[in-house]
Amino acid sequence: MKQIQRDGLLVELIDELTSYGSWCGETHIQKATYFLEAMMGIPLGFPYVLYKHGPFSFDLSDELASMRADALLEWEIKPEPYGNALKTTNVSAGLKARVPRALARYRPAISFVAGKFGTRGVKDLEKISTALYVTNEAPGRGCEARARRITELKPHITLDEAKEAVSFVDEMFREAEPVIREIGET
Amino acid sequence: MRGTAKKNNHEIRDPIYAFIHMNSSEREVLNSAPVQRLRHIHQLALTSLVYPGATHRRFEHSLGVMELATRIYNAVLESGETEILGIDRGEYDGMYYRRVLRMAALIHDIGHAPFSHASEDLFPGDCNHEAMTLRLIESDEMEKIWVKLKIQSEDVAKLALGRNHPKKKTFSNTEAILSEIITGDAFGADRMDYLLRDSHHTGVAYGRFDHYRLIETLRILPKTYEGGSKEPALGVESGGLQSAEALLLARYFMFSQLYFHPVRRIYDIHLKEYLQAWLLGGRFPGDVTGLLNLTDNEVMAGIWRASRDPDLPGHDAAERIVMRNHYRVLYTRNPDDVLKCREAGLAIYTVACEVFGEENVRHDRPKVSASQVAFPVLELDERIVSSLLKSDVLRHIPEVAVDTVYIHPELLDAGRVWLNENRENIIESGSEPEDMT
Repeated sequence: MKQIQRDGLLVELIDELTSYGSWCGETHIQKATYFLEAMMGIPLGFPYVLYKHGPFSFDLSDELASMRADALLEWEIKPEPYGNALKTTNVSAGLKARVPRALARYRPAISFVAGKFGTRGVKDLEKISTALYVTNEAPGRGCEARARRITELKPHITLDEAKEAVSFVDEMFREAEPVIREIGET
Repeated sequence: MRGTAKKNNHEIRDPIYAFIHMNSSEREVLNSAPVQRLRHIHQLALTSLVYPGATHRRFEHSLGVMELATRIYNAVLESGETEILGIDRGEYDGMYYRRVLRMAALIHDIGHAPFSHASEDLFPGDCNHEAMTLRLIESDEMEKIWVKLKIQSEDVAKLALGRNHPKKKTFSNTEAILSEIITGDAFGADRMDYLLRDSHHTGVAYGRFDHYRLIETLRILPKTYEGGSKEPALGVESGGLQSAEALLLARYFMFSQLYFHPVRRIYDIHLKEYLQAWLLGGRFPGDVTGLLNLTDNEVMAGIWRASRDPDLPGHDAAERIVMRNHYRVLYTRNPDDVLKCREAGLAIYTVACEVFGEENVRHDRPKVSASQVAFPVLELDERIVSSLLKSDVLRHIPEVAVDTVYIHPELLDAGRVWLNENRENIIESGSEPEDMT
């Protein structure tokens, strides 16, 4: 995927997250982008590692900084309990206008993920994105085994929390199926 | 008995920190072939063609990173905010990891090819300097030394390479924090040392900041202000915020003034062109022995010879380097252009190649790491807040971006006339909708 298309999709994701009520910090964008790639199959090309609290892409972090340098994004500083938010700009609206086909193809997937993530807090997103990481690590493994793997990798997550996160991811996969199929057909 | 006790502690003079200390076992790492080779790898490639003082090497930088990483480690552990490391639960051997951290810092650059980052693209296949560093850490020579030091090569690699470890894809909080002490984008010892050292040697004073104060105030803090997250990060006490601002401003100024100086950058491009012509198959060797046998010295000797003999491969690039007859700046990034077309430089480069010939035009658009201005700050009342909430300065530090087009020196005048006449049209046409491929 070309950089312009990738950045156009990131701008759309940030707009969608915001419209679904997210305060849109970098953690929200990181975890939602991970779902776009690892669950919805959008080939954004950001490599992820399982870092301190869940999947994290340093390349995506650099890309967001580059988008700020080019006036496509800007900081919005919010007091506790919110962190540093990123918001789109007038320039980023112009960027979206340049990638109509990419947006038409992937918008339903972006909207689906943003709808699921919009009202969730950072701690929740850390758990469910780790659950997706563990699910993709060994497809077909049962809920209990995946939950134990989560607690092994991230001891600050309890077994019950891990099970809940795995169930959420399984349910989300089921709901995402028609959206993923639609992407494949376009 | 006097005079028979073998000295175990050694000190090395350093222009930045006065003395750097190490014990005899650690000195074996320093004396190993991969670390000694760093005496022959310039820290800043051909920057001395622009800033004549920039002749320092990766060797002294590596010692400096070891020194600063140790100071950061000591400061962070003494601060008491160490729950994350499991010290209170007895899960963490502080002295062991201090030893690992020091050695990881000392060897973190051993995989660099000649002229460091300037030639990074010329490793074969998927190889890069991090993969080479890993191979060297695991080499027979180094394994013997790790055994003597009673440390695991796996742990050294984890901390030296951090998130760029070629094989490791999962990190615990402790691994992440310890590797960030060396390689972190905000307060890593690597960054602190290269800013201070490069500033000292080049005479570009912008790189200085109060690292003493900054290190004293570093803490491991959870980012609780992000919806109650417990994710730990290196942050500062509120009293250290100004020194953190100074570090991040120093980074911005040094990148703008030194690392991305347009003449320095074009020499990197000419150097890469020479290496592509000179190296077998245009690539560095992919094995550790081949890499260890190659330093800046061999390359510079080749450049010198090729500059004087038109029949030798890479003559044109070599002559440009030796005679300082580099390509000249035709276009540099302009904020107004970016608003119209984000890839204005690429648009101009593409058309300029059609007009002047691809061999006479070069384009430079390096990827820049995020400056990481957001980190936790511990207030006097024990609240933890975001640095961006506290600091107007940090909110307004620009991200560095480069987009430069160069042209053959003999075509510079014609190029400028052409660009003045066509600039707006080219930039406008560069912003048309793109097809999906």
